[in-house]
Amino acid sequence: MSPDRSTDARSVSAPPQRPVARSTLLIDRAMHHLIKVGGVGIIAAIFAIFVFIFLQVLPLFQGARVTLLRMVAAPPGNYVALGADEWMAKPFLLAADGTFTFLALDETGVVEIRRPALPDDPVITAVRYRALAGVAPIGTADGRFSVVTVKYEARLTSAGRAVEVALEPGPLTPIGPAGAPVRTIDYADAGAEKLAAALVEVDGRIEVHAVRMTQKRSLTGAGRTVVEGGADLTPHIQGRPVEARVNGRADSVLVRTEEGEVFYLHRIGGEFALRQRFRPLADDPVDVLVGLDFLLGDESVVCTGSGGRQEVYSLFGRGQEGIRQFSRTKTFPSLPAGDYAFSPSLRNKAFLVAGPGRASLRYGTSERVRWEEPLPFVTRLARLGSKYDHFLLFDAEARLHVYGLRDPHPEAGWRAFFGRVWYEGSARPKFEWQSTGSTDEFEPKLSMVPLIVGTLKGTFYALVFAVPLALLAAMYTAQFAHPRYRKFIKPVMEIMASLPSVILGFLAALWLAPLLETRVPSLLGAAALVLAAAAGMGALWEALPGRLRGIARPGHEFLLFIPVLLLAGQAGWSLGPALEQWLFVTRHPVTGEAVADFRLWWPQATGAAFEQRNSLVVGFMMGFAVIPIIFTIAEDAFSNVPPAFRSASLALGASRWQTAMRVVLPTASAGVFSAVMIGLGRAVGETMIVLMATGNTPIMDFNIFSGMRTLSANIAVELPEAPLHSTLYRSLFLGALLLFLMTFFVNTLAELLRHHLREKFKAV
Amino acid sequence: MKEIHHRVKSVGEVGVWLTAMGLAVGLLMVVSLLALVVWNGAAVFWPRAVAQIELKPGASGLGEARTLAGVVAKTRLRADRARHRPGDEHREWHLFVGNKDVYGFGFKYVDLADAERVSFPADLMMLERTEYGDAIGFPLTLSSAAGESISFAADPERFRQKLQALVREGTVRRLRIRRLERGEIGAVNERMRKVQERRKALDGGRVPPAEVEGRRAALDREQERLQKEYRALAERAADERREQPPWQVAYRLATGQERVLGVGQVIHFHFPNRMSAAERAAHFVRRAWQFVSTEPREANTEGGIFPAIFGTFVMTLLMSVAVMPFGVLAAIYLREYARQGLFVRMVRISVNNLAGVPSIVFGVFGLGFFVYFLGGSLDRMFYSLSLPTPTFGTGGILWASLTLALMTVPVVIVAAEEALAAVPRGMREGSLALGASKWQTIYRVVLPGSSTGILTGLILAMARGAGEVAPLMLVGVVKLAPSLPIDGLFPYLHLDRKFMHLGFHIYDLGFQSPDSDAAQPMVFATTFFLIALVVALNLGAIVIRERLRRKYAAAAF
Repeated sequence: MSPDRSTDARSVSAPPQRPVARSTLLIDRAMHHLIKVGGVGIIAAIFAIFVFIFLQVLPLFQGARVTLLRMVAAPPGNYVALGADEWMAKPFLLAADGTFTFLALDETGVVEIRRPALPDDPVITAVRYRALAGVAPIGTADGRFSVVTVKYEARLTSAGRAVEVALEPGPLTPIGPAGAPVRTIDYADAGAEKLAAALVEVDGRIEVHAVRMTQKRSLTGAGRTVVEGGADLTPHIQGRPVEARVNGRADSVLVRTEEGEVFYLHRIGGEFALRQRFRPLADDPVDVLVGLDFLLGDESVVCTGSGGRQEVYSLFGRGQEGIRQFSRTKTFPSLPAGDYAFSPSLRNKAFLVAGPGRASLRYGTSERVRWEEPLPFVTRLARLGSKYDHFLLFDAEARLHVYGLRDPHPEAGWRAFFGRVWYEGSARPKFEWQSTGSTDEFEPKLSMVPLIVGTLKGTFYALVFAVPLALLAAMYTAQFAHPRYRKFIKPVMEIMASLPSVILGFLAALWLAPLLETRVPSLLGAAALVLAAAAGMGALWEALPGRLRGIARPGHEFLLFIPVLLLAGQAGWSLGPALEQWLFVTRHPVTGEAVADFRLWWPQATGAAFEQRNSLVVGFMMGFAVIPIIFTIAEDAFSNVPPAFRSASLALGASRWQTAMRVVLPTASAGVFSAVMIGLGRAVGETMIVLMATGNTPIMDFNIFSGMRTLSANIAVELPEAPLHSTLYRSLFLGALLLFLMTFFVNTLAELLRHHLREKFKAV
Repeated sequence: MKEIHHRVKSVGEVGVWLTAMGLAVGLLMVVSLLALVVWNGAAVFWPRAVAQIELKPGASGLGEARTLAGVVAKTRLRADRARHRPGDEHREWHLFVGNKDVYGFGFKYVDLADAERVSFPADLMMLERTEYGDAIGFPLTLSSAAGESISFAADPERFRQKLQALVREGTVRRLRIRRLERGEIGAVNERMRKVQERRKALDGGRVPPAEVEGRRAALDREQERLQKEYRALAERAADERREQPPWQVAYRLATGQERVLGVGQVIHFHFPNRMSAAERAAHFVRRAWQFVSTEPREANTEGGIFPAIFGTFVMTLLMSVAVMPFGVLAAIYLREYARQGLFVRMVRISVNNLAGVPSIVFGVFGLGFFVYFLGGSLDRMFYSLSLPTPTFGTGGILWASLTLALMTVPVVIVAAEEALAAVPRGMREGSLALGASKWQTIYRVVLPGSSTGILTGLILAMARGAGEVAPLMLVGVVKLAPSLPIDGLFPYLHLDRKFMHLGFHIYDLGFQSPDSDAAQPMVFATTFFLIALVVALNLGAIVIRERLRRKYAAAAF
């Protein structure tokens, strides 16, 4: 620093320092904090979406929670069945001699012992309790049976709920040979049809007998029950029967023998026929079948072996006639050997097994153990509460243990969502989505796989159409077009991006789908001719002498091409019917004459369905949503390639196409990839187009002329009807979470790539 | 030398033309889609000629009649391909025959091959009615209950003028009835509901028992008074109804039936086959205006879309009010206050990606969090009297706006950040050097400088919000809302109300309408308005951005 400059500086007097107003400082500090807190808060709030959805999904993957609520001592007795009301206020123990012991679970602890009031009080030799119907069929020593209805009624009093119970015995009906004692009894009431089945002891031999009853129902009410007659089922059975079970539709009897075989007898009218004879757990000769119990809906039986093995056999149609027979569909982990009490749930396909020192709650559909624990007692009887919120265990020391059960989503789990599940009535395990059914016994089918496949299918067809078109357009705009055109091309593309998807969906479904339904050959013709026209124009240009080529200066080709495109498209479109006559002739399935109809030709040629609202339509319309996104990002990537690269390539004598392909494209490849990824992200989450333009059937194929159901459309269709916090509700949240993760992952990848690219060329 | 140059240069022209094709197809797609919507949307309002078709003997007509009249909605290939013979006429008309009260349907397919003669009689009249859609027929007479009668054949001009006057009178009266029912009767109903609620509160046990009886009596008296008021108003409305002009118009359908219609039910009439171009244009404008300004009728297949436009507008406005401050605040934090590093970079990328998260996911969140969680809690705390009927615990305009705000906030953050970054560093430094505090710099220099950019982001967010449907289906949009979210009843802005939305209207009309043929023109018209709205918003954003670019290009220092 020179001395004279420093004197210069000194000669300028420094401005007088003024104190800053306190308010300015205060405001500044306040705003500093406000913005910090606000900014972080807002960003956190946005990410809280993810956390919230995740928390909604979480309970789906939790097991059952069981807590011991109380323990009540019961008078000792030879109890063979355990029942309860839906409020778990007054359960009962049913003894082999037909006495009911009701235990009040409130603080009074009253014990009531009652016998059903049957005429001349016969000796009871067989009892059973069917919890779903709330009836106890009983068999007598003189060869008759009666059905006792256990009728619970609750009254609301000032002190709370008071539960009253009444035993209403039905008439005594003979079963089997007169006077032969009944050893086991079962009974089912299917409305118009009723069926009882019993093992009856005749001269020391066990016979199987059934009695069919009918009841006419009309608008005026139920008519009288008429006994239609008995049937001796013994001739159908080989071996020593130990148990006979009737299914809920009252049309089948399952007889288990001491040898571990099951005889499946089916009734049509009054006639019984042996439909199937099978031996569950056959692969181990030591482990003999000792338990045969229906699950809710009576389509499956749980077979328990003496060694503790447990398998589920379900009915499904097999063979040409589709006769429904039992086959093994599920295998559960083995229990320790011993005698097990069994209780099915009355709400779902869960069942409780409890025996020596162990109880286990299992779920039939998902083949999962929901809860299993060792217990310090030997269970004799078990009962799952009818609301699936309690269960009772009765042990060898005559104590009743009351457990609380919290298992809101027993049908959920990894396997139910992502694995193959063998549903009742189906011939093999499959991925299936069907959330609601017509009956209470329906198994919700909640596989996410068909939805994911549908999502990928829609995305795939959208990208097949959009990616080439968008990349070609981007390449042309960035590399070949005159710069002046970019100013209007980009806004036009942005407008395309902003078209509301509901409009695209509406046009797809109500305008394009009916149009394309009959004109697929026209579309093929138009596409082929347009491509040919482009290639032809290119070839022509290469061949033309330079003077003539000047009609279209470089950078204006696309304008020149528009009329050609219109002509070629129109020509191809009107060629369609001719193309159809030529290529797509097939026989009409009804009349048998030859018809040129692509709609008939496609299923016959490929075996796949042809639907009006199909993936072709979706792919095309989704293109409108995806093309502009890919175009914009790819165009940026191409334009951002340093001009020096291009100039160098051109200077070295490469043609503009060679430059574009060998220099620009490789350099911008990461950007192009990220463009495709972001387009993919948009296509994956697109809702309205798919919702409107497909049939929304959750199928799993990649046929271009059929529809699909995507994750997003599934949410839109089902969430408004889903009860709050039900399994369906949470499953749909799981769908949303999957969508979120898929798009977030894809977008982040794309974004990182783009950043990488930008950094790379910063220096150039 | 020149020769070689040319040959080398032209390698790969095929590829260049392929890329040109890509661009041409892309542009054509946009243009033709817009043209399709504009054409079909505008065609709905344009009065088209009504054809009278005489069918060949043996062709299937409408019952016995072999003459029908209608507007050709479209011509298409016959669906049943098996009947095609080469050289045959195999097209069919989709004919709008109207008169749904007589025929039971509004549209009919007619084979072109079956038509013997097509004519356009000048006397065919179209009547727009309050019920059953349009009637098409030849006018006969106009007669009053007093025995007066004007024959169309005798004096068409007088007939026309009289009918015109009567229709105008009827329109005024309908408006009056509506005002009565919607306004005054609605207000009384609302007060009655309040009284009911207060009565219910008495049973809640929060009032000292001694006062309960007295209060109940007071409420009963109030209730009584309101009921009397209600009855008086209802009486007035009924009187107005009865006073509809006692005139009737008789007309004959092309199929031969003669019908009589009370003039009070006619909204508008015209003779489409004798209209001049100017008259047609006037009719077009009138119909278009009616469409945007009136309420839907007949399961949304007739009438207008005013509630949908209004609902979209209010929702978008509420959304903007919510999204603007939060988006800008977050952007200021990210750009001006946060320490730039890996973390902020990650946050920025994530925010950017959130803009790409499917809208339905936001809808799912909105339903679970806003509606069930927040709304349910609000109901339990403040609206427990009306439970189990939910007030905020069900979809409504507030939750819909907040859901969309959440969905669009990343768009605003990204745009605002870019706008903040575009403010030249020199301006900030200049301000700081002059002694301004950081906040003063941001508030006085940076924000004004970036306001247009932020505005662009907001407009883009509005365009996205206005066009979005999927999340709204979960959080409060309905096919027909009985009342608007803003009206003259206290507290004027009803945040808990469900609302109608243009996009959802399209979905509902197109897919859930009982009469899809009748709904289709309405869908196209609605589509036209929605596209117009969204494109206008986007063009606005583009124009502002271009301006901005020019401004900064000049002002860079």
